[in-house]
Amino acid sequence: MTLTLGHLYPDQLNLYGDRGNILTLKRRCELRGIELRVVGLGIGDALAPDEYDLLFIGGGQDKEQAPVAQDLFETKGIGLWAAIEDDMPVLAVCGGYQLLAHYYRPAEGPDMKGLGVFDAWTVHKGPRTPRCIGDVVIRWNGMTVVGFENHGGRTYLGTAHPLGKVLKGYGNNAEDGTEGAVYRNAYGTYLHGSLLPKNPHFADHLIGLALQRKYGLRRLTSLSMPPGEIMNGSTPAQPASMEDPTTLLRPLDDHLEWQAHAAILERLGLYEEAVAALRRAKAA
Amino acid sequence: MISGRAAGALSRRLRLGGGTSIVGLVAQRLYPDIIGHLAAQLEHGSVLITGTNGKTTTSGFLAAILRDAGLRVWRNREGANLLRGVAGALVVRALPNGNLRRAGQAISVFEIDEAVIPQAARLLEPRAVVFVNLFRDQLDRYGEVESVASLWRQMVKELPETTALVLNADDPTTASLGELARGPVLYFGLEDLTLDVSGQDGQGTPGTYQVVDSRSCVRCGSDYHYSARFYSHMGHYQCPHCGLERPSPLVRALHVRQDTFDRLRVTVETPTQLGEIVIPLPGLYNVYNALAAITAAQALGISWEPIVSGIEQFKPAFGRGERVQVAGRTLRLLLAKNPTGLNEVLRTLFSEGTPRHVLFVLNDNIADGRDVSWIWDVDFERAKGLTASLTVTGTRAFDLALRLKYAGFAPEAMTLIPSTPLRALEELTGPQPRGRKGKGRGRTRRQLQEGQAAAAMTSSAAAPPAEETTASLQEMAVSFPGYGLARALEQAIAQTPAGETLFIVPTYTGLLEIHRELERRGLTPHYWEGRD
Repeated sequence: MTLTLGHLYPDQLNLYGDRGNILTLKRRCELRGIELRVVGLGIGDALAPDEYDLLFIGGGQDKEQAPVAQDLFETKGIGLWAAIEDDMPVLAVCGGYQLLAHYYRPAEGPDMKGLGVFDAWTVHKGPRTPRCIGDVVIRWNGMTVVGFENHGGRTYLGTAHPLGKVLKGYGNNAEDGTEGAVYRNAYGTYLHGSLLPKNPHFADHLIGLALQRKYGLRRLTSLSMPPGEIMNGSTPAQPASMEDPTTLLRPLDDHLEWQAHAAILERLGLYEEAVAALRRAKAA
Repeated sequence: MISGRAAGALSRRLRLGGGTSIVGLVAQRLYPDIIGHLAAQLEHGSVLITGTNGKTTTSGFLAAILRDAGLRVWRNREGANLLRGVAGALVVRALPNGNLRRAGQAISVFEIDEAVIPQAARLLEPRAVVFVNLFRDQLDRYGEVESVASLWRQMVKELPETTALVLNADDPTTASLGELARGPVLYFGLEDLTLDVSGQDGQGTPGTYQVVDSRSCVRCGSDYHYSARFYSHMGHYQCPHCGLERPSPLVRALHVRQDTFDRLRVTVETPTQLGEIVIPLPGLYNVYNALAAITAAQALGISWEPIVSGIEQFKPAFGRGERVQVAGRTLRLLLAKNPTGLNEVLRTLFSEGTPRHVLFVLNDNIADGRDVSWIWDVDFERAKGLTASLTVTGTRAFDLALRLKYAGFAPEAMTLIPSTPLRALEELTGPQPRGRKGKGRGRTRRQLQEGQAAAAMTSSAAAPPAEETTASLQEMAVSFPGYGLARALEQAIAQTPAGETLFIVPTYTGLLEIHRELERRGLTPHYWEGRD
């Protein structure tokens, strides 16, 4: 089995250790006998939605974000929209997240037009407004997702569903307790750190969605939560048997991953959650 | 003034640290003009050194050169690179009447934080400002690379015509400052094309991932084209769109050869001299540091002999390749605080293919930068299979261990010692051993039962029997024996055979902790006494 990951703007948007996200997807696929090909898509490269099974877009400096915003809209916009409407899993972090919403209004200069995949918008309230910086934990699918955030802009959701609820940290705007946004299988978030290494369940969720879409493994559906259910704390179903195609996502040895996850939870005072994460390490 | 000095004496007695920063803070509050007032009395004025990596070593090289040239050199203590540190360094040499002691033949060499350099230049009116490089560093504190660059551009426009600029020709953002200067500009750069790593970088070749922090042309925004690249964005670049290119350097390293791990032999050319200089430090980044110091010395009109002798006699500053003897082992300390810095330390350590004993310390205190996501951009893959022993510690030990796992290190092949206990783990396994003598885990029967009960709660029908589950939880505790830097240092030394070298690679506060620990054991001098 082969999956192809399109890495959007690897040169321009790679500020926050985004390489860790790619390494994680690659490793978790390969340990299960799935080849993950990574294709970099830079400025000027068209995006043919049929050629990819997963897309990743990271964060960058404001200086790099402006030409990227223009290229995203003009060169890749239609392909990206088509891919997302066709349920391609997309992970967009920080600057990439902002550019998938309606617009980013920087502290100075004109608005950067986004794709409007998420009904959300981002405003930087000026150089005197403090940045949202620090460790962050959200509740997602009944589990915790940990990361680090560092963003000047505040993102406000229209009708978009949030990715999760903030347990510690700032999230979208430090006001409404929401973090990230979800549309179909596209996920926008401010969590980096790098995000996927310490959140193996979230990494597997993306891989599962890609397999489901490409190979039509219908029973993987249980791994994909409708956005409305994300906030109510339900957990995804576990794989049942060898015949079940979800065994493609059989557990890996995530000992160290969950220890690292638990260490963040504990230092933020989420002791009970840290114990739960360590039990998950044991289960792995 | 007197109260400033009294504060210094007091802080030293209380062992708050070097003390000069606190003196400076008090002095600046009492007398806001103090820096300008005192610095104006220095017979030979002052030189400022800034940049992301290499400030301390470059100012050390320059100070050694200037001393050999017969000057009296005053410096700020490493780490005290904000204005208060500068004020402190001057105030401790002031007389009660407000005059500087021994200002004749005196010159100050100050290393300055890259965000503070504009204010420092305004107050000190330096004879030269040295910009060593600009890399991504501490995103949570400095913001993006571009915001530091624009701060520098604004500052350079305001410098008086009498201030010389010393710039790295191979670093595009730093070099471009020369276009804005009103005074003289002196560039330094590397000309040894055998050091070119371009063609190896990018996604294709594993093990040579390069972090590039300045990618697009400062003038027109197009991506640079490189005819040679030495590391990160350092190299011979040209903008294919507007034609902006690397300026031709005045001081050039024509040929670089590593003699031993410790020594680099460099052929240096200036407009008047051509000669070989031995740099008593490893790493290509130290060639740039030496070139920066040589070029600054040129700007000050220093002759060739003290340049050579100053560099060759140089004693490394704490944490920059310094050696400490412990129990028949040599400890080498190699500070690494950002992706390019760590990449170059790894290249220096592992490019010969010799297995090394290594202790990594990754902290996320404010002075380190709270965001450690940059470790994912570091080429740890390079070290795979080349660690004779590997110990990982610090406030972010788990993050680093995970990064190393992804670089191909088996978790069981590392000794993971977090800086604080993971209490949640203790709940599942009983308390962990503490300190040197902590052997027993101190588990009571009740804790054991609770551990099994906890395991049973989460286990499904397919889970292994309870005994095995408990055993795996024990293994989890065993995977980090105890916690804390002292424990990690002990473990790492124990894993290094007598007569061999343990390489310690810490972030900034990790370095301070190591220093305190060595000092506690009576192994290094107080570093504020070890300076000047």
